[in-house]
Amino acid sequence: MVSYLIWGIVIAVFVIVAVFAYYFNRIVILGNRADNAWSQIDVQLKKRADLVPNLIETVKGYMKHEKGVFEAVTAARSSWMGAKTNAEKAKAGNELAGALKSILAVSENYPQLKANENFNILMEELSGIENKIAYARQFYNDSILGYNNTVTTFPGMFFAGLFGKKEKEFLEIAPAERENVKVQF
Amino acid sequence: MAEKLSFHDEIARNNRNSIILVLVIFVFLILVGYAISWIYDPTMMWIFIGAATVISILHLLNSYFNGDKIVLMATGAKPADEAKYKFLHNTVEGLALAAGIPKPKVYIIPSQDINAFATGRDPQHSSVAVTEGLTKILNRQEMEGVIAHEMSHIGNYDIRFMMLATVMVGIVAMVGYMLTRSMLYGGHRDNDNKGGAILVLIGVLIAILAPIAVRFVQLAISRKREFLADASGAKLTRYPEGLAAALEKISKHNSRKMEIGDATASLFIANPNPSLLNKLTSTHPPIAERIRRLRAM
Repeated sequence: MVSYLIWGIVIAVFVIVAVFAYYFNRIVILGNRADNAWSQIDVQLKKRADLVPNLIETVKGYMKHEKGVFEAVTAARSSWMGAKTNAEKAKAGNELAGALKSILAVSENYPQLKANENFNILMEELSGIENKIAYARQFYNDSILGYNNTVTTFPGMFFAGLFGKKEKEFLEIAPAERENVKVQF
Repeated sequence: MAEKLSFHDEIARNNRNSIILVLVIFVFLILVGYAISWIYDPTMMWIFIGAATVISILHLLNSYFNGDKIVLMATGAKPADEAKYKFLHNTVEGLALAAGIPKPKVYIIPSQDINAFATGRDPQHSSVAVTEGLTKILNRQEMEGVIAHEMSHIGNYDIRFMMLATVMVGIVAMVGYMLTRSMLYGGHRDNDNKGGAILVLIGVLIAILAPIAVRFVQLAISRKREFLADASGAKLTRYPEGLAAALEKISKHNSRKMEIGDATASLFIANPNPSLLNKLTSTHPPIAERIRRLRAM
């Protein structure tokens, strides 16, 4: 009789430990995935920022009268470089995207520039990076969704509270960018 | 929308299928070894079975580690030049980001048809191959749709199972062929050997049955796989119309037969060898049906 009781307790403890371990690992893994997804965005944002000096160098000779545009881009880039938190980085990244778009818009007025091969290569590079940023963000938000679903639904909610894990913020995409649906062709 | 981000269920199913496949092939090769020993010299049974085991293990390891290279070579795929296929590389990298997997290696198949496939043992060792024609004819959205479909195959480990099935099943057909040949043309030493006749019979049976069995296995798994990859691909691009338009172009454009063997045909996004027989027992669901489902999303 006593031995049954002991066995029952042993099994119950084992099950409880297993459930705890499962939820702890699950929450940590999903959280890590979201953090890693952020770093993928960061990589692409950095690549874009690195492209800026090169782009300005190429464009400068053609657009002598567009000083304001360059200044906006340079300012956006340095504010990106100075950004510390993820939220700041995301905001500065959006600014930079907007500033680069204005260079693109202005370049329409300079036919010689559009004939410049270097400029065209940079533009393909830039649009490739913009696409990758969009996809990396999408994966980031997907990861956040997976994480949040786990920590806000039962029984994950209970364990998240125990382990002190909170919901993570989705990455808001700037309204200006949302308008730009993918219809390049 | 992306309720189920991870391909958890599909990965589990693919792992299970891969293990079953490996075991079946393993047992099959050992049985062949046993049958041969029984006919040649029953006292040496364990030697034959041992040899069959070693060969099976080597074959399995080779399929697992070199299967992607074998498949790529069989289709004539060549590494895609970074500068020349910049756009393709960008697309692959972007969708790898969306799927949360490392960027696969990118290959070009020298064919003017529109087609693509993915292979490899896991997302860390994966390759995507597209035809020359695809890079020329499809626009950005369509190419993204196709690549996203391939990314889903990579993400849910379809690639591993399909690669193992393609390469490992190849040897079954080969064993059948060898048995038949060796007994019909090489085994003149004792013509009235009853065992020899049985061996030929087994060989012929394997040679006939193996491809049919392979077909049915592929049939059972691959249609569902294609629909699934279409759906998860559309989830990656958030734009099902891209893949739908690509499939439409494929069905209009691909009239010529690609120089692709039947074994690797089921890896492709669209059947590279459309013919009447293939329509009946196709490893691919009809393109029209796939387009309909995509447009209904």
